[in-house]
Amino acid sequence: MISISEIIGFNFIVISPTVVLVLTALILLFFTITIPSSDVLKKLITFLGILLTNFFIFLKFGLYLTDGVSSYFSEKILLDEFSLFGNVLIGLILLFTFNSFWKTSASLEGKTTEAIILILMSASGFLLMIDSENFIMLFIGLEIGSISLYALAGLNRGDKLSNEASLKYFLLGSLASCVLIYGVALLYVSLSISGVYETSIAINFIGAQNVPLTTLIGMIFIIVGLLFKVAAAPFQAWAPDVYQGSPTGFVGYMATTAKAASFIVLARISAISIRFILDKFELFFTIVVLLSALLGALFATNQTDLKRLIAYSGVIQSGFILSGMVSGVFGISASLFYLFSYIVQLLGIFSIFSIIKGQLTSNFEIGELSGLFLNNKFLTISFSIFMFGLAGMPLTSGFVSKFILITNLWSYEKYLLVVVLMLSTVVGFYFYLRPIWIASIEKNENPLSKIDISTSDKVSVGLLAVVTLLLGILPNVLINLTRWVVENYI
Amino acid sequence: MNAVIFSLLLVPLFGSFFIFIIPKNRVELFRPVSILFTLISLTQAVYLLFDSKLTGNFKTYASFEWISLYGLDLNFGLSGMSILLLVLSALLVTVSILSVSDSHSQSKGFIGSILTLHFAINGVFISGDLVSLFIFFEAILIPMYFLMGIWGGENRRYATIKFIIYTVFGSIFIFIGTIYTGLLSYSVNGRLALDYNTLSQLSFSSSQSKVLFALFTIGFLIKVPLFPLHTWLPDAHVEAPTAGSILLAGVLLKVGAYGILRVSIPFFTEGFIQFRFLIACLSVVGIIYGAIVAIAQIDIKKLIAYSSVSHMGFVMLGISAGAYLSIEGAIIQMVNHGITSGALFMLVGFIYDRRHTRKISDFGGLKLRMPLYAGIFLFTSFASIGLPGLNGFVGEFKILMGSFEAFKVLSIISAFGVVLAAIYMLWAYQRMFTGTIVNEENNTLLDLNYREIISVMPLLILMLLIGIFPGKLENLVSEESEYLSELIFYFVGGK
Repeated sequence: MISISEIIGFNFIVISPTVVLVLTALILLFFTITIPSSDVLKKLITFLGILLTNFFIFLKFGLYLTDGVSSYFSEKILLDEFSLFGNVLIGLILLFTFNSFWKTSASLEGKTTEAIILILMSASGFLLMIDSENFIMLFIGLEIGSISLYALAGLNRGDKLSNEASLKYFLLGSLASCVLIYGVALLYVSLSISGVYETSIAINFIGAQNVPLTTLIGMIFIIVGLLFKVAAAPFQAWAPDVYQGSPTGFVGYMATTAKAASFIVLARISAISIRFILDKFELFFTIVVLLSALLGALFATNQTDLKRLIAYSGVIQSGFILSGMVSGVFGISASLFYLFSYIVQLLGIFSIFSIIKGQLTSNFEIGELSGLFLNNKFLTISFSIFMFGLAGMPLTSGFVSKFILITNLWSYEKYLLVVVLMLSTVVGFYFYLRPIWIASIEKNENPLSKIDISTSDKVSVGLLAVVTLLLGILPNVLINLTRWVVENYI
Repeated sequence: MNAVIFSLLLVPLFGSFFIFIIPKNRVELFRPVSILFTLISLTQAVYLLFDSKLTGNFKTYASFEWISLYGLDLNFGLSGMSILLLVLSALLVTVSILSVSDSHSQSKGFIGSILTLHFAINGVFISGDLVSLFIFFEAILIPMYFLMGIWGGENRRYATIKFIIYTVFGSIFIFIGTIYTGLLSYSVNGRLALDYNTLSQLSFSSSQSKVLFALFTIGFLIKVPLFPLHTWLPDAHVEAPTAGSILLAGVLLKVGAYGILRVSIPFFTEGFIQFRFLIACLSVVGIIYGAIVAIAQIDIKKLIAYSSVSHMGFVMLGISAGAYLSIEGAIIQMVNHGITSGALFMLVGFIYDRRHTRKISDFGGLKLRMPLYAGIFLFTSFASIGLPGLNGFVGEFKILMGSFEAFKVLSIISAFGVVLAAIYMLWAYQRMFTGTIVNEENNTLLDLNYREIISVMPLLILMLLIGIFPGKLENLVSEESEYLSELIFYFVGGK
């Protein structure tokens, strides 16, 4: 039997999610330019595109079952457990943010499809980044992904903060990309290779102690470029401004995809060359984690803007996730669990923000939450669940993820990290509970207008809340899944 | 047995779910429905109380796999002490729902929070391993946060945040202790076995035992609370609504002492030997300090809050003395204090509902208008002071007698705590109830209504019954106290 890949000369399935997203974007573009068509049609096309993407991600599992871990396109595209996990994450993010980004785009007059196309393109970029086996490919994916994000941040052109966010994100982001590509170049100069696996093999071959300094610097630069995307301290400066300034409906997408993709890539790099990373970069990662936990906790306590608060909390959470990267293979699997549960909570929180605050606005003072409980009980309860999850309250996924992560850290005798991360958790209870207090307890002086919440919003927020609770009570399935992701490197 | 164990968790949970789905306009249903559910769990707990097979040392009856990767199970079981505390908490939850004013009982959130609190408290008492203990220990905070935050007093924000931050700070130590214990257990058993049975077979080195005891005990002592970690308690009590105060004093403080008896002492006995004199000293300071500060209070609720510091000091003194009598006395004192302070807070709640003030100086001569109330208050005060024949006497007497051997001077000093208790309680009674009515507003006060009488009556009956027949209580906890005291004796003798 001749398979389809033999006919067209390359394996279509492995890049099919990316291709489908790009095609959907192109079809939308085509419709916008040529035939005047209704928004409903465009919405349908977008949604179908996202569903199809998820379907093809599902098909990739089939390909994995037949081919195993394998690479395609002359070792540029990789199909392994990490890429499957990352693909699923991005697919889920697209599904769950669809509501809010569609509404946000619809409220942008005359630029509706523009925003959607940007989002689809950036998702395709991040998928490519997750799938890439080659650092240059990774850079291309990252750039496709992030350039769209820069534009998304500034789409609300009338808003000063939005413009500021976009410019800041663009300038700092391109600086980070420069650093990353410089790292790739240094790596290539020193070892004449640019593959992820190749690097690890080469390092093993020449021995970790003989690795040239140029390679080390190159690796550090690559990692710094990725750390910038996940807003780990000291590379976090852009995050609060960008979160605050960007249109609220887009932030959920912007925050989660970049984090998911970058963390998956970081996890893969750490897993592949775990010994080398543990030897050479332990101090570097430790400092980053410590700074993230301390700076994040320090700045988050006195924020008055909710989106800035979430941004700084993201810095702490990034610290937590990164701490897993230096505590062995099980640490990486714990990180992946943490990443998943964090992304679920983040998606929920930003969906709620865009429901409450309308889509295009930038500022979101904490005080504006007051009286939410009287206005809409469903939103308040799910908001509380997500915030308790971020704080790490038992019976939510936040507790389980912190538990397994800290257990791993302790077993690697990283006591300093344990103490600092736990302290930041205590501080976290202060600033995570404050919005809950204001939303559910404080009396309202100038009431919010009645929030009307669509069924699709209700379903997606409810699902995310249920997942947050379920992962806290029965975490076994996802923990085994994340273990399966790192199975080959144990 | 599985079904019994899990129904202890599920009944309150179903209860709060049921309250949630009752239509909003049927407010009069909230109280009866929730009491129905708490009565079910009370019946269950009482039923367990009479099963002599269950009332010995802790036995695990149910477990299920939680994280198979680490071999981590959640275990649930029962012992005499935990059944006793289950009965206490079910009783106090029932009477507190019965006692609250209509404005509270007609709120879905209020009743739901209390039932959720009941769920979490039950979880603590039936948990059979450190992880589930921690999960429920922390889960208590969520309903308490809303109870104090939404229905609390003027200064509730400060008090709630203080309460939460103190407890979370303490539970971080327990969290780290749990992980450390788990990894030590991992190196022996090849899995993160944290259930009590496995832990009791593990032997820790002297330094490990010390560190672990300190980690767990700091977390639990904040909850007890031991002087000087008590500063959250007066604020929390004053700002919490009546039902919250009843449960806070009646049950939540016992969670800390329960944790020490269940985890800190049996598994880390060597550490306990090292630290017990320090704990005993702090307890005695707490007994005297709490009593003296209580004398100086002008707010009756704050007075009772400080008296809790004093009474829980007795519990900690008894535990740290480590003798059979004193440990038994400590467990009995835990129950007794739950009953009496619950009743006192309830009584204060009744007068607060009528007058919306808690200042002692605002009252005076209440006996003339509310004779029944005054009588009940006096009776409860006597129980709290420790008058022979009432319940307070049993525990404190046993504690003082048991701890005399280990800490002679300390137990003599702490005996003055009983005298001081008489001063603050009776003086407060004198100022509030005797004399003539000075304040005009007090002239129109009505005596207790039937609902209020019914809600306080079970507690009064128990005060008398325990005071006269303490034997049943002793039987329930004798096996455990014997086990603990022998363990402690073994480690002291080993030195």
